Amino acid sequence: MRLKTSLPKEPKHSELVSCVAWTTSEELYSCSDDHQILRWNLLSDETSSLAKLPNDIYATDIHFFPGTGGKAKQSQSDVFVLTSTDGKFHLISKSGRVEKSVDAHRGAVLSGRWSYDGTAMATAGEDGQVKIWSRSGMLRSTLASTGSAVYSICWSPDSDQVLITNGKQLIIKSLQANAKPLQWKAHDGVILKVDWNPVNNLILSGGEDCKYRVWDSYGRQLYSCHPHDYPIVSVAWAPDGELFAVGSFNTLRLCDKSGWSYALEKPNTGSIFHIAWSGDGTQVAGACGNGHVIFSHVIERRLEWKNFEVVVTSIKSINVRNVTNDAKEKLEFRDRIIKTALSYDHLVVATASQCYVYSTKNWNTPMIFDLKEGTVTLIVLAEKHFGIVDAAGLHLYTYEGRLISSPKFAGMRPDTLSSLTLSICADTVAIRDKTDEKLVHLFEANTGKPLESKPLSHKLEVMEVALDQQGPAADRHLAIVDKNRDLYLATVRNFGKPAKIVKLGNMVTSFAWNDTTNVLVALQDGKFTMWYYPNAVYVDKDQLPFHVKDVSDFGKNPTIVDFIGTRVTIRRADGALIGTTVSPYPAMMHELVGSKRWEDAVRLCRFVKDNALWSCLATMAAYDKELGTAEIAYAALDAVDKVQYIQHIKELPLKDVRNAEMALFCGNPQDAEGILLQASLTFRAILMNIELYNWDRALELAVKYKTHVDTVLAYRQQFLDSFEKKETNKRFLQYSQGVDVNWESIQAKIEMEYQKERGGK
Amino acid sequence: MADEALANAGLHFDDLNKIRVLEPEIQNQTTELKEECKDFVDKIGDFQDIVGGFIDKVDQLAKEVEKEKMKAIGSRNLLKSISKQREAQQQQLQALIAEKKTQLERYRIQYAALQKEEAEQNEFIEQFILNK
Repeated sequence: MRLKTSLPKEPKHSELVSCVAWTTSEELYSCSDDHQILRWNLLSDETSSLAKLPNDIYATDIHFFPGTGGKAKQSQSDVFVLTSTDGKFHLISKSGRVEKSVDAHRGAVLSGRWSYDGTAMATAGEDGQVKIWSRSGMLRSTLASTGSAVYSICWSPDSDQVLITNGKQLIIKSLQANAKPLQWKAHDGVILKVDWNPVNNLILSGGEDCKYRVWDSYGRQLYSCHPHDYPIVSVAWAPDGELFAVGSFNTLRLCDKSGWSYALEKPNTGSIFHIAWSGDGTQVAGACGNGHVIFSHVIERRLEWKNFEVVVTSIKSINVRNVTNDAKEKLEFRDRIIKTALSYDHLVVATASQCYVYSTKNWNTPMIFDLKEGTVTLIVLAEKHFGIVDAAGLHLYTYEGRLISSPKFAGMRPDTLSSLTLSICADTVAIRDKTDEKLVHLFEANTGKPLESKPLSHKLEVMEVALDQQGPAADRHLAIVDKNRDLYLATVRNFGKPAKIVKLGNMVTSFAWNDTTNVLVALQDGKFTMWYYPNAVYVDKDQLPFHVKDVSDFGKNPTIVDFIGTRVTIRRADGALIGTTVSPYPAMMHELVGSKRWEDAVRLCRFVKDNALWSCLATMAAYDKELGTAEIAYAALDAVDKVQYIQHIKELPLKDVRNAEMALFCGNPQDAEGILLQASLTFRAILMNIELYNWDRALELAVKYKTHVDTVLAYRQQFLDSFEKKETNKRFLQYSQGVDVNWESIQAKIEMEYQKERGGK
Repeated sequence: MADEALANAGLHFDDLNKIRVLEPEIQNQTTELKEECKDFVDKIGDFQDIVGGFIDKVDQLAKEVEKEKMKAIGSRNLLKSISKQREAQQQQLQALIAEKKTQLERYRIQYAALQKEEAEQNEFIEQFILNK
């Protein structure tokens, strides 16, 4: 990926340009020390003067009211805030009329930013104060008073905190008065610019120590660059949070969100004082010290999937190469290409107005449909359909271009969705809630309706979600990584019951499902772990089959890019892509078990002679209640107790009882009881509870179904006697009064029940 | 005697026996002086012309020299600034080279990883064949 810059021969401004701002992706406003506000129309390549400010106003910052940038439709009431060196900020309409000027600070106002929800604006001045204003420009509060000039401020993604520079320090201050501010030393020189991305929640800072750094929202440093030759005067996140741009003297740099640099440009611009990304994230504009405004396009984005290589070669064209036969295709588009995604045998390209769907088998005739809401911010592909996120929400389309559904919930913020917080599979959609990050909303893909009445709730803030891609819808699972970087597996379709959320691993930095089998890989604490069959946590936790690989050559903080077939692509912290192959056997195993070829599966295990694969088979067989295979697999694993138990189950006469016993085997007594009661095997249910020492429940059932109350009492008595204790449970005392415990009759009754079962068979 | 008497009266006769007020000697000398003076004036005039010409020439030269000097200074400054420009250019190119180097390093690592993968795959295939 690199930047293609364009710089006119003669500067349009006669003095240095201090700030720029996009209105749409084709229109830019720039302010300069020559007091002019220029409007740049990129479609017609014309520049017109919007307004001439009075001679005593030197603009320092400009910011449009949120919700206008990048959208196709605009309301007429668009205003922007312009801060100036005379200590005022000015609310100016899009047509250039100054609607309001407000005295804000002593000395210059250095920055003015609207909050994301548009309810407030923050200004920072040379007097070291940060003030919060209402939409109409009324002072609400003075948020902070620092000793030195505040050069840059930023709102947090949820608009309730403000990031402030204070000399070499960064401060995150909450709007709530009593909250303690977070403060840390970030640079060795004065910090000149900060930016906070709402999608990935990362903070970017640049300063006079000639470095830029990336932080998380707790102030932990994720990246620090090598020192440049000149101070870093501007930094800016791309809207989708995947890239950022850095400006310095004669320098424009394009970097990945993890900090490493994609490309460096050395244009003849002087210092680039301010950088702004267009709303669709394809263009960068920079305010240059020599009166220029520099425009750059991000080109040469590269996508790879199996044997296809897709490169966005220019603003409107894409090259596709089939690596196996070196066949090349050139795709041309009428509009700017905004997003591309390649996976599952399809290439989806979103331009400014239309969406093109190509099949990898046919590059000549794409499916084309119009996009309603302008800028697409995210495309996520799944096996049968794909999701497009725009300002209006999420829409699922088939690869034929037909709209399937538009899942939504109250308080959904499509602009903050990323591939980490949105997951789509063949039948389900999972979206992490932004306002309450502990919640994950789950939807039926085909109808767009929520799966359960309530969203899935985790005990901690969820950072990443991913659905497994294969298998029947009822077996769908959601992998979750929470704030503590613990990996959990949750059941998706619970039919009213609470979701089963089970922990798989901790310190997970990155994870991915395979695209064709339900195999999970994760990087945790410098190790690469592959779970052959994550469902095993619901079956038999002791036999969770996984494989750990040492990955010292991945360097620090690698991330998994994708996991296709048997190949995992990993990006190192320095940006190098490296791949690693995993064993193909788990995939084969999934395939064999999926088509119920148990004998072949056993043969495969015998061939490979790997315990992890045996456990994989054992748990799969146990899950599918395939007792014979489970017995063989557990025998191979030397799990004598389990073999014995399976043999016991095999001897049971009734299918429902066997199912219940299997549920017990998987550690789900509630399920087991449910199965038994449904099959009206009350005695079994009672006996099961007795065996689990679940006395209260056993008695409750016995009383409810008016049978075997004496059995329960008898077993209870026996239990108490063996511990030489007295009955203290009130209910047992109550019922034991009216019932005679006679072991012989009880034994007879039990025998009768068994007879009945055998007879019923 | 008569001469003497005349002389006392301030009258003299010259060689052509013309009557003179001045002594013929002095008369001669005066005329000589007059001639010489005239010569002198002429010479001075010539000298002035020559010096004037010289001064003009020198002035011209000075101007020429000044011009050349400015030129020299200019080119010297230009030279200096060019070396500075070169330095800046060099710096820029160095930065670009460093960028390319890191990119190369990335590709190198990727290549190494791919080679390793290939080796692993080959090993796997071999094992698979041997096992069969």
